[in-house]
Amino acid sequence: MKIMNCPLNGPRNISEFVWGGEVKPMPDPASVDDRTWAAWLFLENNEAGVVREWWCHVPTSFWFIAERNTVTDEILRTYAAGDVFNTRVEFAPKAAENK
Amino acid sequence: MSDINRLPAPFGRLIDRSSRVTFDFEGRRIEGFKGDTIASALCANDQWMISRSFKYHRPRGVLTMAGQDANTLVQLPQEPNCLADKYPAEDGLKVKAQNYFGSFDSDMARVVELAHRFLPVGFYYKTFHEKKKSWKFWEPIVRAMTGLGAIDPKADFHHSYYDKKYLFADVAVIGGGPAGLAAARAAAESGAEVVLIDENAALGGSLGYARFDADGKRAPTLLNDLVAAAEGNARISVMTGAICSGFFTDNWLPVIKGNRFYKLRAKSVVVATGSIEQPAVFRNNDLPGVMMASAAQRLIHLYGVRPGRRAVILAANDDAYGAALDLLDAGVEVAAIADLRAAGSLSPLAARVKSRGVAVRVGHGVSEATYASKTHISGAVLAPVAGEGRFAAGGMSVACDLILMSVGFSPAGQLLHHAGAKFGYCPQSHMFHPTELPAGTHAAGSVNNAYDLDAVLTDGRRAGLLAARDAGLGVGEVPPAPAEKGNVGRTHPWPIFPHPRGFDFVDFDEDLKYHDLINGIADGYDNVELLKRYSTVGMGPSQGRHSAVTSVRIVSRETGADIGRMNVTTQRPPYTPEKFGHLAGRVFDPERRTAMHHRHLELGAQMMPAGIWWRPGYYGARQERDAAIVREVKAVRENVGLIDVSTLGGLDVRGPDAAEFLNRMYTFSYTKQPVGRSRYVLMTDNAGVVTDDGVACRFNDEHFYVTATTSGVDSVYRQMLFWNAQWRLDVDVANVTAAYAGVNIAGPKSRQVLQKLCTDTDLSPAGFPYMGVRMATVAGIPARLMRVGFVGELGYEIHVPASYGEALWDALMEAGKAEGIRPFGVEAQRVLRLEKGHIIVSQDTDGLTNVWEADMPWALAKTKPFFVGGRSTEIMAKAKLARKLVGFTLKSAGDPCPEECHLVLKGEEIVGRVTSAVRSPSLGKVVGLAYVAGGDAEPGREFDIKIGGGKRITGVVTKYPFYDPDNKRQEM
Amino acid sequence: MSTIAPVSLKRRSFIYRLLAAEGAQFGEINGGAVPLHFGAGREVELAAARRLALADLSVLPHVGFKGKGTVEWLTAQGLTIGPDSNKAYRQAGGELAARLAPTEIFLIDSLAGTGALIGRLGSAWKWAESAPRPAQGYPTPRQDSHAWFMVAGEFAPEMFAKICGVDLRRDRFAEGAIAQTSMAKMSAIVIRADRQGRDGRVNAAYHVLADIASAEYLWSCLMDAAAEFDGRPVGLLALQDLEQ
Repeated sequence: MKIMNCPLNGPRNISEFVWGGEVKPMPDPASVDDRTWAAWLFLENNEAGVVREWWCHVPTSFWFIAERNTVTDEILRTYAAGDVFNTRVEFAPKAAENK
Repeated sequence: MSDINRLPAPFGRLIDRSSRVTFDFEGRRIEGFKGDTIASALCANDQWMISRSFKYHRPRGVLTMAGQDANTLVQLPQEPNCLADKYPAEDGLKVKAQNYFGSFDSDMARVVELAHRFLPVGFYYKTFHEKKKSWKFWEPIVRAMTGLGAIDPKADFHHSYYDKKYLFADVAVIGGGPAGLAAARAAAESGAEVVLIDENAALGGSLGYARFDADGKRAPTLLNDLVAAAEGNARISVMTGAICSGFFTDNWLPVIKGNRFYKLRAKSVVVATGSIEQPAVFRNNDLPGVMMASAAQRLIHLYGVRPGRRAVILAANDDAYGAALDLLDAGVEVAAIADLRAAGSLSPLAARVKSRGVAVRVGHGVSEATYASKTHISGAVLAPVAGEGRFAAGGMSVACDLILMSVGFSPAGQLLHHAGAKFGYCPQSHMFHPTELPAGTHAAGSVNNAYDLDAVLTDGRRAGLLAARDAGLGVGEVPPAPAEKGNVGRTHPWPIFPHPRGFDFVDFDEDLKYHDLINGIADGYDNVELLKRYSTVGMGPSQGRHSAVTSVRIVSRETGADIGRMNVTTQRPPYTPEKFGHLAGRVFDPERRTAMHHRHLELGAQMMPAGIWWRPGYYGARQERDAAIVREVKAVRENVGLIDVSTLGGLDVRGPDAAEFLNRMYTFSYTKQPVGRSRYVLMTDNAGVVTDDGVACRFNDEHFYVTATTSGVDSVYRQMLFWNAQWRLDVDVANVTAAYAGVNIAGPKSRQVLQKLCTDTDLSPAGFPYMGVRMATVAGIPARLMRVGFVGELGYEIHVPASYGEALWDALMEAGKAEGIRPFGVEAQRVLRLEKGHIIVSQDTDGLTNVWEADMPWALAKTKPFFVGGRSTEIMAKAKLARKLVGFTLKSAGDPCPEECHLVLKGEEIVGRVTSAVRSPSLGKVVGLAYVAGGDAEPGREFDIKIGGGKRITGVVTKYPFYDPDNKRQEM
Repeated sequence: MSTIAPVSLKRRSFIYRLLAAEGAQFGEINGGAVPLHFGAGREVELAAARRLALADLSVLPHVGFKGKGTVEWLTAQGLTIGPDSNKAYRQAGGELAARLAPTEIFLIDSLAGTGALIGRLGSAWKWAESAPRPAQGYPTPRQDSHAWFMVAGEFAPEMFAKICGVDLRRDRFAEGAIAQTSMAKMSAIVIRADRQGRDGRVNAAYHVLADIASAEYLWSCLMDAAAEFDGRPVGLLALQDLEQ
């Protein structure tokens, strides 16, 4: 069984974690067109190489980010989400009508 | 006559002569000692045939005495396929041989002849690949002929206690021979905490049975020193009789010992698993009496058993001469040594053998084992080697009851293969060896191509130090790998001598002969991986331990491929068979019980699972289920009922941004929700699919108590944390599901009952209206009160700290006695809510249902900037509605009530399904929810439902709530 | 404290039936019944607590605080809380402030169970009348979300190794260390909290805090795992005797 290093709890068996998908910035829902939104939602790059992924340590419900090489399945680095997401996110009021 | 082959002490390192054991083998009484294996005791009692072979039912006996072969698989009453050369001899065992018809000793020739003709190589491919129907003809024959032991379902199976345990080590050393012992010691002396694992009953490996010098002195002395050092070192914990059966990511090692399955995690690993002695191929090389030289040495030294009376040794290395000296010391006559090498041996061992008068025939091999009895060999035919795999004419028969094979070794590299090591062929030693190891993994000793004892010790010490360094410990100077490994001259490149009359076995497990492989290659399967699958070579219980290298050699020669570029077939875990008991261990299957769980049981509830929770389904006997449900429904509609809703999810959402956060997580708007009121919450995921619902109770402007479904709350909570890890709103979310026990007291008389226990809150309709929420005290317990209408009657949800849950239940049941309060279960609740037309997310919705399909646009806040799933919901509004959830009744009152997932059809096309349906006790007719085609959702429209037996009935789209459509009752 | 019946009190441990079946004699603490002993005799239970024993402390005071401002507010209330997460900090009254995360504290009372500190904090924490409110964290109902067991005795680490994948051996898991992990396939918090006797003898002990709804399940798993080492349930008195 693989070991993952949780930024809060240290190295643990991978069975204590769940995967949360790739970290990919959401397009602005107020201005994005339907096709781009759908592509963000449903299309994955399946990168062969280093990807950034969300992982959650289940016993503490702690979300963090891991950099993993999908070719070697090597976990290169893990860090708290706050290292990347450190400012309050606001959403623009709705555009009058989406064309 | 009992154990006539027993040798006197000091032979028999592992047996305790003061402790006798007797057991039964095929009706024969066998006497042995504590420490014997079944096989060693049988040999001591002159019982050489132990089982019959898989396909041809040929007699088989000891081959390795190391638990490495399938020859000694025996049947115990409660357990098939036991390795007789590993399984301890115990008093009272009833042991039977395997793979025979009628009598164990019956004539083999007939069976052999029969099978030989019927089972050509590639039998399964040829017979079943194209002619599929022929299986019918062959199945009974194949099933009777082949297969291993049998499970007797009538046997007195005792379900033993199996469990698992984690183990931790800085350095794990697998294999307790000289290399492993040296490695463990070096690592421990560097400060590492070491776990040393050996599958044998005692440490020492080859030091316990092999001969390294003419006097036979060095091994015992070294053994005592190394074992004493290991056992005396507090940092080394020794596990003998323990099998490491795999090598997984990040040094995760399963280790089986007894009934326990250990999960060992090490920082680094030394694999010192040694090597496996390889057989030679000649006619009748499989019969009892033919064995590895190391097997005879194990019998002599470990068990004190004389392996025969008169021996012939087939030699291709100097180890054969060590074995010869051991035989002589044990009183076995050595009739001849046939050394395949033209030059023979110049070692001191050979000199000593010759000085003891043994005839050595250099440039000779064994062309055939001969037999007079049906169960044991009686002679060997020696012949001069004429070329690779060929004998010249002029063989000579030698009477003997024992033929030892000492022609080479192959690394026991399975675990290294699992770990991802690469192996290559060494043209000097004619052996495969590890060429590339993963980080943190080290190999030492003969698995690493080191055979000379000094080289092995150096190699072990080096690996131990490197492993300690990998584990983060400071180590001194690490010695270089030994320059001279003693690997050359140990293994013959072609110990394969096919015989014109066959029975020259390459694979003993699968009964494959030399020509079976040749024919397989001729059929076009000219690659080791393909040949394995076609011929089944290496697929038996010993997994190619003795056949893999021979197959590679044969394929290489037949196809002209360079053996230097070839490899043995892929090795996968497990290294040895694992029992289901080991894999299962203790069953850890967490379950959740509410505070009132035992009260439900006392009231006769039939409990049902909800996720990992247990909930009361209904109260009463199983055979009165329907009546019980109706009784409970009536109690709520007409009187007062009490249901345990503790499993309902609960989340405290607190902070200045609490309302903003709910706005983003749910479809509705919460900014302007008044304090003291609750509001419906509907959650969609990013794709706009409905995922959960509940209510948000606002206790102050910065505090919402949000409920979620029993099965959904954990994922709702996780999603909330996931999103706020990105949004960084000033809000705190706590999952308080288990912290609150909850009940719903419902029915026209619920207020009357509650009033008796709750005096600090105005419960009047004006003082505490429908959808109101209050902090209150009930029966002296602090409570969160909610007026909700899931079942459609006047009712209160009461949430109290879980430790008070049972006391609350007791108080309410007592207080409601006069009103005839009745507990109701999940089944009645489902009926009640369906009469009210409330959906259950994940029953009435599925993994694709969006807000439009669920017909819930009323739950969408139109103006807020964002909610999860909002953008997708907007897009789907523009698409044609494929299906829609509607209420329905049946056109014909006499039709049966449809069941969940009965199909809704339009002509022959499936357009939807029934999600819930019940014959309503309150309305006296069938009501339900179903998906119908988007254009057919107007009330009054009819649609077809295909019910059980293919019958079609007609449903009529109906507005809901079906019961009390004006919601008067819940707002009383 | 005289022997009482758990159902005579409103606050009840989720496993009181299992404890009663093992012969527990209960006393009242914090409005609930806690097992004082199991009738085996004081010396027997003390010996068990030194070898391997399980105790149910679920009704003893325990509470949580989490969210922005938690540690600052608790510090202002007189608590001593160090900078590291997954470490428990001992308070003047013997309580442990377990820092589960930078802004999350799980506070458990001393084995005396007086509730002095926890009661004081409970009264001190109030919603400010109106926004903007100071950042002072939020109380969390740990008393009722988590069952609280103590596992004491030198065989505790070996017993844990049968149900928990984290290395809890004493030379690898320091006094005050916390593991938030999986135990018998459920989430649990383990805190090492040795009991020191007046004679200086250090007795191994661990707090186990886990989902109250699975308390019966977890207790049964622990008893099963402990059987190999002759583990048995003991009462509060035996744990207190460890500190004599």
